[in-house]
Amino acid sequence: MTTTTLSAEPAASPPAVPSERQLIWRAFRQDKLAMLGVLVILFFVLTSLFAPLLTPYPAQGAGAPNIIEKFKAPSAEHPLGTDYLGRDVLARIFYGGRSSLTTGFLVVFLAVLIGAPLGAVAGYFGGRVDDVIMRITDVFLSFPPLLLAIAIATALGSGFVNTMIAIAITWWPWYTRLVRAQTVSLRERYFIEAARSIGVPSFKIIATHILPNVLTPVLVQGTMDLGSAILTGAAINFIGLGVQPPQADWGNMISQGRIYFIERPWFAGSAGVAIFLVVLSFNLIGDALRDAADPRTRRGEA
Amino acid sequence: MQRFEYLIKRLVLAIVVILSVMVLTFFISRVLPSDPAAAWAGSHPTAEQIAIANQRLGLDQPLHVQFWRYFTSVLQGDLGTSLQTKQPIARDLRTYLPATMELVFCAMLLAVVVGIPLGVLSGAYKGSFFDHLTRLVSISGVSIPTFWLGLLLQLFFFSQLKILPLGSRISTATAINNPVTQLTGFYLIDTAVTGNWAAFKDTLLHLVLPACTLATYPVALAIRMTRSNIIEVLSEKYILAARITGLPRRTILFNLALKNAIIPTITVLGLSFAYSLTGDILIEIIYSWPGLGSYITSAVLAIDFPVIVSVTLFVTVIYVFINLILDLLQAMLDPRVSLE
Amino acid sequence: MKRYNLLILLVLAALLLAQCAPAAPAAPAGEQPAAAGDVARKDIFVYAHPTTIPNLDPSTSYSNDLVVMANCYETLTFYNAPGSAETLSPKLAESWESNEDATEWTFKLRQGVKFQDGEPLNAAAVKYSIDKIRELAVGAYYIWDAVDTIEAVDDYTVKFTLTYSSPLDLVASANYAAWIFSPKAYEENGPDWFNEGHCAGTGPYTIDSYERGSRLIMSANEDYWGGWKEGQFKKVVFELIEDPTVTQRMIESGEADFTYQLPADNLEKIKQNPNLVVYQNPAFLNLVGLFNTVKPPLDNKLVRQALSYTFPYDAFMEGVMNDRATQAFGPVPDGMWGHSKDLFQYSYDLEKAKELLTEAGYPDGGFKLLYTFATGDLDEQTAGELWKAELAKLGIEMELQGLSWEAQWDLSKADPAKAQDVFVMYWWPDLISPLSFLKSMYYSEEEPLFNLGYYKNPEFDKLVDEGDVLTGTDREAATEKFVEAQKILVDDAVSVFFYDSANIHVASASVDGYVDNPAYPHVVFVYDLTRK
Repeated sequence: MTTTTLSAEPAASPPAVPSERQLIWRAFRQDKLAMLGVLVILFFVLTSLFAPLLTPYPAQGAGAPNIIEKFKAPSAEHPLGTDYLGRDVLARIFYGGRSSLTTGFLVVFLAVLIGAPLGAVAGYFGGRVDDVIMRITDVFLSFPPLLLAIAIATALGSGFVNTMIAIAITWWPWYTRLVRAQTVSLRERYFIEAARSIGVPSFKIIATHILPNVLTPVLVQGTMDLGSAILTGAAINFIGLGVQPPQADWGNMISQGRIYFIERPWFAGSAGVAIFLVVLSFNLIGDALRDAADPRTRRGEA
Repeated sequence: MQRFEYLIKRLVLAIVVILSVMVLTFFISRVLPSDPAAAWAGSHPTAEQIAIANQRLGLDQPLHVQFWRYFTSVLQGDLGTSLQTKQPIARDLRTYLPATMELVFCAMLLAVVVGIPLGVLSGAYKGSFFDHLTRLVSISGVSIPTFWLGLLLQLFFFSQLKILPLGSRISTATAINNPVTQLTGFYLIDTAVTGNWAAFKDTLLHLVLPACTLATYPVALAIRMTRSNIIEVLSEKYILAARITGLPRRTILFNLALKNAIIPTITVLGLSFAYSLTGDILIEIIYSWPGLGSYITSAVLAIDFPVIVSVTLFVTVIYVFINLILDLLQAMLDPRVSLE
Repeated sequence: MKRYNLLILLVLAALLLAQCAPAAPAAPAGEQPAAAGDVARKDIFVYAHPTTIPNLDPSTSYSNDLVVMANCYETLTFYNAPGSAETLSPKLAESWESNEDATEWTFKLRQGVKFQDGEPLNAAAVKYSIDKIRELAVGAYYIWDAVDTIEAVDDYTVKFTLTYSSPLDLVASANYAAWIFSPKAYEENGPDWFNEGHCAGTGPYTIDSYERGSRLIMSANEDYWGGWKEGQFKKVVFELIEDPTVTQRMIESGEADFTYQLPADNLEKIKQNPNLVVYQNPAFLNLVGLFNTVKPPLDNKLVRQALSYTFPYDAFMEGVMNDRATQAFGPVPDGMWGHSKDLFQYSYDLEKAKELLTEAGYPDGGFKLLYTFATGDLDEQTAGELWKAELAKLGIEMELQGLSWEAQWDLSKADPAKAQDVFVMYWWPDLISPLSFLKSMYYSEEEPLFNLGYYKNPEFDKLVDEGDVLTGTDREAATEKFVEAQKILVDDAVSVFFYDSANIHVASASVDGYVDNPAYPHVVFVYDLTRK
């Protein structure tokens, strides 16, 4: 954080005033449900990362078939049963988390990476540049959300990376809008004026002053969006685009398990529960973060 | 006058957007690594058949020529031919659109009729048990994958309780003995207007599960949005003043707070439309609903690009149009919206 | 105040609508109490069809629409179900004959037959139909390629003059591009009319209504030349449902009388259901994995043979296919003429494979293969997964790639040196002849079309050509030639012949008279059925 202050206080240290960030964090921590959400996310992230070590069936998780044990109901050996190729469902869930979670994180990351700078540029320069960028975002925003992602994913072809790119392409406009609005209000602030007057080049101002200051709302929005990103990724995988077999993904586990669902619900069922828990956690976290970031709704304030 | 200018501006913008959408969808379809001509020619085509197909589809022309052909034919209402079925896409769209819209409108209706009141009550009685319950339900609603929820509901209502059908719009028996007269394509309307009550009942039964599943996300979203709106409004100073002066709570709620929440209702309508349209694709897969979602899904799996492009364009145009109307409504009702 | 009223109105409207909704009925979903004048359930044949029916135009129909077409149109000759004494039987043609080298064919038509629009069936109509099909040049039109001219000698005699020998009696029984339709209906209404839900054939059922993607309803053609008896079906309904979950529920609950493509793993339960009958018979469909014969190391015959010993045939058949398939004997599927169980069949034998690999110079494997298959096809995918695991034991790495059919095909048609190593696809015949399998996939091609193993063997080509010529005149001699040709393919291990598909059809036990006929896949000739 490089907020320049115009007055430098001398030695006598003032009483510790908590920074904005610290206030947010403190308020956030008080939300029990959100903290529970953090734990759930940590659980899934860790199990996905360390999947090969945690499950007794790493090969099956990665896709190796085991036909003899097809369709076994949940038991001691296979806590969530086995799927249509005899693979341990719990292992598939852990491995599937790699695909589903990564999709969510990377989609948001990519969208921010593309959208935020564009929004900053649009907000900072205004005029022609702003118009052009805004019109482009308008075009992208005028598509019904999932549809454009499907069309792009079909064109790019199936696969993990292509799905992420397809979804990210439909998501970046939101961040552009957000950052632009923030930038416009920041533009008028004192320290920006000051920096400009001493001749700091524009892109440097954007990079060092604007972007860091829009970080908080972007982070909040990003966190709130993580859940939706995961849902969208799961939907695309469910339709049949996206991750290819034998790789696991929670979305395609549901679509594969669907035809057997009524008699053998455990693999489509558990994949759905996994998605639900993760997305719910992200939403709880996102809600709490948003409430904490807004002084009016922040807990612990008078 | 300012309002009129705003209307014109928005209209022009909408047209520009639609044109850009056409260009975008067209070029996406040409990025394909596959061979539409071969797909057209059938399962085991000869080299000659592929050449004929290439010519017929105009694929041997340069890209901008192809686009111009596409553009002019779209303006004439010809949306091309499906590679898979060789049938005109425009006719298919006309057949499938009402089915989808019926579902989407039901979901939107539920969002407004169920979501908003619940959101209002939840926000008004913030902190109560009811509020907590509603918040739990609504946050679950936006977190659950709808395609999975559909499976669960089918399992419960069809397999276990056996009171609701598994899919489709009407049953076979009804189709033969009490067929629906195709007037608007909206079965609820068509059956009611012709007095075909047996089919009306059947239609409703078939609509319940898909509409409710589809409405889950919009309803939950509506609750969340309305709730935070109400909370915001209720915390405003003049509400506080009204309470201090002793106005009954109900009066405050309905006369003052609600009026100011009407504008966000339009936002809710817009969002629920967007999400219903989105989720509809998945719902149609699960419930074998013969609408645009099923149509585009089988096109995706067969890489039938004319269909994918046309449906995307078609749905986007509807989406732009409806959003335009909602934006204009909002502009008319809300003096705070800047007409810039 | 206006905005407030709007909300009130909305709420009131919702309440009103809620009043209209009936209470949940006592009867299970789908059943309605029958009113007087309703068609009884027993008189309706319901087919839960698991795919869409793309095209109802008889001049261009080339897909699953067959199930509908076969009930409202008819062909000149009919390919009988396996097990019949004769291969063909008369349909619209009462008799036919050819000259000695099968270059002239004369068909005598049945008299007194009318199209569903009232027009009479005559030689002119036959000529019109076939000419139109050839003119449009879509789908399977090429089965008539040998025909030079068609002459309506008199009202009921049609003469075909060919430029080369061809089995026109077989051609005329084809399931595509051989329907005879009313010229008047076609001329007056144009081809689009058919897809709106109309039929202009001579068959026993005609189309009542058609809701695309949803349902097609047919009813009995009172004037059908075959006449009607007690117990036959008055209505036929095709429920177009692509979801196997739903089709399964429908057949189990009795809502449907016939379906196919149910998930294999659920078949056990279905077989035990006393209300259902499962028909399992060979289809003329097989799955092959074509080896890229020009790309090392697969250009070495020994390597290909070795690989043919590495696929776990039995485990795959038992564990995955269950009864849906049997291991193939060469490229021509079981049940079709030209199939021979005398052909050598590779088996799962890793020892043998290692021997051959060592002989070829790859004792520890050490190479990589690319296996392409169609995305979404579970069987192709599982075969790959199982094979990959086996090859790994020999030090061979196989990469699986799922692509759309178009993309897969594109890749293979490009540069053979850069293409896949194993191309997996299904094949089924347009014309019931081994030629369809042998010529399309293994005959030398300059530009690869379906010979995606890029196989070039002049000796093989010669045998196929000889068999081709004999097909019209002496089918037994033709069979001999084709079997010889297949021996070469098996010995050369040009493909892995995974399996011959079996069709699994599930029907209600209350329906009598169904016979599986792989020449018309998945078709139910409802006219032949009665309700018990």
